[in-house]
Amino acid sequence: MSSSKFVDRPRFHCALGGALFTLRALQKAIPIIHASAGCGHNLFSASNAGAGYLGGGYCGGTAWSSTNVVEREIVFGGEERLNEQIRTTLDLIDGDLFVVVTGCMVEMIGDDVRAVASGFADSEVPVIAVPTPSFKGNSYDGYDMLLSGLFRDYVTQGLKKRADTVNLLGSVPGQDAFYKGNLTEISRLLQRIGFRVNTFFGEGETLDNLQKASEASLTIVLSDVYGLKAAAVCEEVHGIPYISLPLPVGAAQTSEFLRAAAVALKADATTVERVIREEEARYYDYFERIADIYNDVDLQRYAIVAGDANYAPAVSRFLADELGWLPRLAVITDLLEEERIPVLQQRFTGWESDTYPLVKFDTDTSAIQRYLAEAWEPNHNERYADTFSPTVLIGSVFERDLAAKLGIPLLTLSFPVTNRIVLNQTYAGYNGGLGLTADLLTTLVAGR
Amino acid sequence: MTEKKLRQIAIYGKGGIGKSTTTQNLTAGLSESGKKVLIVGCDPKADSTRLLLGGLAQKTVLDTLRETGDQVALQSIMKAGYNGIQCVESGGPEPGVGCAGRGIITSIGLLERLGAYTEDLDFVFYDVLGDVVCGGFAMPIREGKAKEIYIVASGEMMALYAANNIAKGIKRYALKGGVRLGGIICNSRNVDREIELLRAFAKELGSHLIYYVPRDNIVQHAEIRKKTVIEYRPDTRQATEYRQLAKSIDENTHFVIPEPMTQERLEEILVEFGLMDKVEDYRI
Repeated sequence: MSSSKFVDRPRFHCALGGALFTLRALQKAIPIIHASAGCGHNLFSASNAGAGYLGGGYCGGTAWSSTNVVEREIVFGGEERLNEQIRTTLDLIDGDLFVVVTGCMVEMIGDDVRAVASGFADSEVPVIAVPTPSFKGNSYDGYDMLLSGLFRDYVTQGLKKRADTVNLLGSVPGQDAFYKGNLTEISRLLQRIGFRVNTFFGEGETLDNLQKASEASLTIVLSDVYGLKAAAVCEEVHGIPYISLPLPVGAAQTSEFLRAAAVALKADATTVERVIREEEARYYDYFERIADIYNDVDLQRYAIVAGDANYAPAVSRFLADELGWLPRLAVITDLLEEERIPVLQQRFTGWESDTYPLVKFDTDTSAIQRYLAEAWEPNHNERYADTFSPTVLIGSVFERDLAAKLGIPLLTLSFPVTNRIVLNQTYAGYNGGLGLTADLLTTLVAGR
Repeated sequence: MTEKKLRQIAIYGKGGIGKSTTTQNLTAGLSESGKKVLIVGCDPKADSTRLLLGGLAQKTVLDTLRETGDQVALQSIMKAGYNGIQCVESGGPEPGVGCAGRGIITSIGLLERLGAYTEDLDFVFYDVLGDVVCGGFAMPIREGKAKEIYIVASGEMMALYAANNIAKGIKRYALKGGVRLGGIICNSRNVDREIELLRAFAKELGSHLIYYVPRDNIVQHAEIRKKTVIEYRPDTRQATEYRQLAKSIDENTHFVIPEPMTQERLEEILVEFGLMDKVEDYRI
């Protein structure tokens, strides 16, 4: 952790924001914000741009329903105002699920939002409340809070378990600009080995997938950090065990992921091996295209990786083990609970290339340059200096200044990603490995 | 003629100790001697000015704010009570909802904006809810507000515990700004050796017992009639006591940053004055 006494450009926002963008990713789930005027708009602006222009979606963004509490509600309590807002929102917006999410100020004064929401138990569509005060966590935690609330109060209890159904968590909408592409890719692969997959936010999914999530026999959390708390709630309420596997990027990690998932899911090993063979054959059919240019002009690079707990380890390993690059510094930029750190450090071991970066945990953007001096002896104008060049920086738009200073290309993939339009791209799975390879090498041939 | 200097005073103390009764009686005494006084009740129960107004007649600042918004006229929330004492009740939310602390902040802010603190005033008294549960209830002693604080206490153990805790809060603010403890007012409960205990307690805090108000049932009689003792029976001994308290506060020059005690030291003093036989007897 950083020892600095100020917060320097953190790459997350507040719990309410995390909850709002998780709801935005659910089809026809309508948030009702119980917070001060401005919370909704600020969070929309931050996440929309930061997540590659994700947009507000159906009845979202600047159209979000919000109580916009003012001093009167703070002093006298905001429950009446919330009641009014739920009523009018139900009148005006055609939704399939209404979720009250809260800002800090109404939680501090103790508004009982669950009690207010329970007053709408007889409405045609469900109205639930999930407290999401940001003094309890940031946007990643907001994702967990929201999903935990949905697992408790929305997902149907007591459905018969299906051995062929799996829930997939761990990719945070709005924090991960590529969440939809990533979930779609991992879902595609799990379907290929014979499973029905609820990602809740993926292509073609509806609230039905969420409501019937209790049918699943396993939850796979595609992360060492995000979604674990929600998965634990799901286990507690619906009796669904969960495993945590790191987000896989590229062929090696994805084949490893599929084998591990197959064991947990008790999938047919022959099918799994066949799928892996087919996927790898397709993958390397594309991958080999770059062999000529890579060797002709030597596209091997040093690399600096700055990203969240999902991307930083996976991308660093992909660079080292698949692209033959030399990652020298990896900075994990999340605010993490202490016990998560050794788990993430473990991800930087056992690589095939046996080439490891210096690993740092720091939320401060400016710290990256400082760590660089630690990772690579600075050039003191010696005649035969061992220069840290050529290099590529993989991070977020916050790394733009550092990339410019070092005169090296930058590929943005971790929040915030304001310099790209992100649609269905993915950096997960086999397709994600191909996409990442293409995007990285494009930065090197862009001038040709 | 010297320029008038407004003295802003906050009265704190354990709930039920008699802050409101004492404040109203002492301000009645001050007004008799020609002083212009404003009382700001800082308690959601809005019962700080009942004896001066002859009942809970007036609308609170926050009620008015809730009903009519920001466009509040000063006359609608400030009423003149006994002998011209100006009375304001901050008010607050219903029990169990909202934030009463924020209510105090809002209310005092509004009073300032509306110009309630007129130049002819000699004293503003803030009568604050017994338990200073959050920052809002410390609003009256923040920078630019009350500079003087009096703690109402009695010889009962819990009253002294509360007073010592309040002293901790005062010290915090005193170190940042100009607020000072002006003294301890004893509102007697007829406890043995009460006056000695309160003197010792006040001394330990670095302050002084500014006045000892004896217990007298006339106070209750007056309260039932929604009056201060000074108004109800101006010729009684108790009325004179309150006048003396008013005089002591008017002439007080002893203002300190309190040195609150450790729990152990407080218990030692209690044992010393016979309130506790053994400290262990009071441990739960």
